[in-house]
Amino acid sequence: MINNNTKILIFGVLVLLGAALLAYGALFHSNNVLPQQGEDSTAVAKSEPALIKEVTVGGVTRAESGKIKQTYTGKAPAACAT
Amino acid sequence: MVRKIKAGNFTSKIIGRRMWIQAAFLVVWLGPFGLRLHTICSPVFHCYACPLASFACPIGVLATFCALHVFPFIAVGLLLAVGAFFGTLICGWACPFGFLQDLTAKVPTPKFDLPKFTGYFRYVVLIGAVLAIPYFFGEEHPLFVCRVCPAGALEAATPAMISQSIAGEEVIWPNTLKLTILILFLVAIFFIKRPWCRVLCPLGAIFSVFNRVSAFFLRFNADKCTHCERCHKLCEYGIEPEKTPNDLNCIRCLECTNCSPDALNLGSIFKRAKDQRENSGGK
Repeated sequence: MINNNTKILIFGVLVLLGAALLAYGALFHSNNVLPQQGEDSTAVAKSEPALIKEVTVGGVTRAESGKIKQTYTGKAPAACAT
Repeated sequence: MVRKIKAGNFTSKIIGRRMWIQAAFLVVWLGPFGLRLHTICSPVFHCYACPLASFACPIGVLATFCALHVFPFIAVGLLLAVGAFFGTLICGWACPFGFLQDLTAKVPTPKFDLPKFTGYFRYVVLIGAVLAIPYFFGEEHPLFVCRVCPAGALEAATPAMISQSIAGEEVIWPNTLKLTILILFLVAIFFIKRPWCRVLCPLGAIFSVFNRVSAFFLRFNADKCTHCERCHKLCEYGIEPEKTPNDLNCIRCLECTNCSPDALNLGSIFKRAKDQRENSGGK
């Protein structure tokens, strides 16, 4: 049986870890995204919130080279196709 | 029908209003002001392709980031923080997909129970369709979670098909597997209480592991328990709350706290030391 002090300790660790991951993802983490045409083109760095937004419209995929690639050129799709 | 006896505490007061609280949360998730804050994940199961979705679905984000081989810091951080606070209270009180199932459960049809072991399928779905399949086979795999998700079929594909039909365009149907799962789901919700949440929901699987350590939990006071087993009858999910108050299958509807001896309560780790001493007989 877990006593209350242990619960408070576990809760504190989980919340701190969660907040740290959230802050890192929201403020510092970014990924390079290639445009749809041509893998030799210059990649654009996208922050994680921007990448989440791309994900919600099915706007990015993983290319055979392992790099992240945009699935459209110009206007973004309205919604994810899946 | 089990008679519910109100103890008069805060938990008892809000239980009767659970559906209203779920409806209030639904307003948040459906974005009445046209807000599409899709750079932010919500902590609930709600497809981001829904035309009214305010936030991104954490499961869709987890799965797609796995397919991209990128660690989803925001989604994991959010689920850790929310899980640490609330555990499956989110499932019982805030999730729109759970709310839909609660509403259909009100239809007076015969209800069937599920064996307890079916709850473990949720972890199979989480590890398989959300993490492993996207990571190893990518998002094109037919078992990628978004390709089979009934929430996506109901909240996104169905409105899209209706709008295509109204506009006189060619209607694009979801794939056969997704459609089959949707039909099975729509039938099951009338005969089983929360079938998706209990058997397949990967988000519920994540929150359930926090149940034993979350800030808000179900407190059982052994001194007050009269072993009347009223809580067994109050629980609609086949849990024996006095034995496992923080069961993995519990969605924290808190109906069991209506037991007359007041042996079960919504507890919190923030409770003051004086209250802790008073409840020292509690588990």
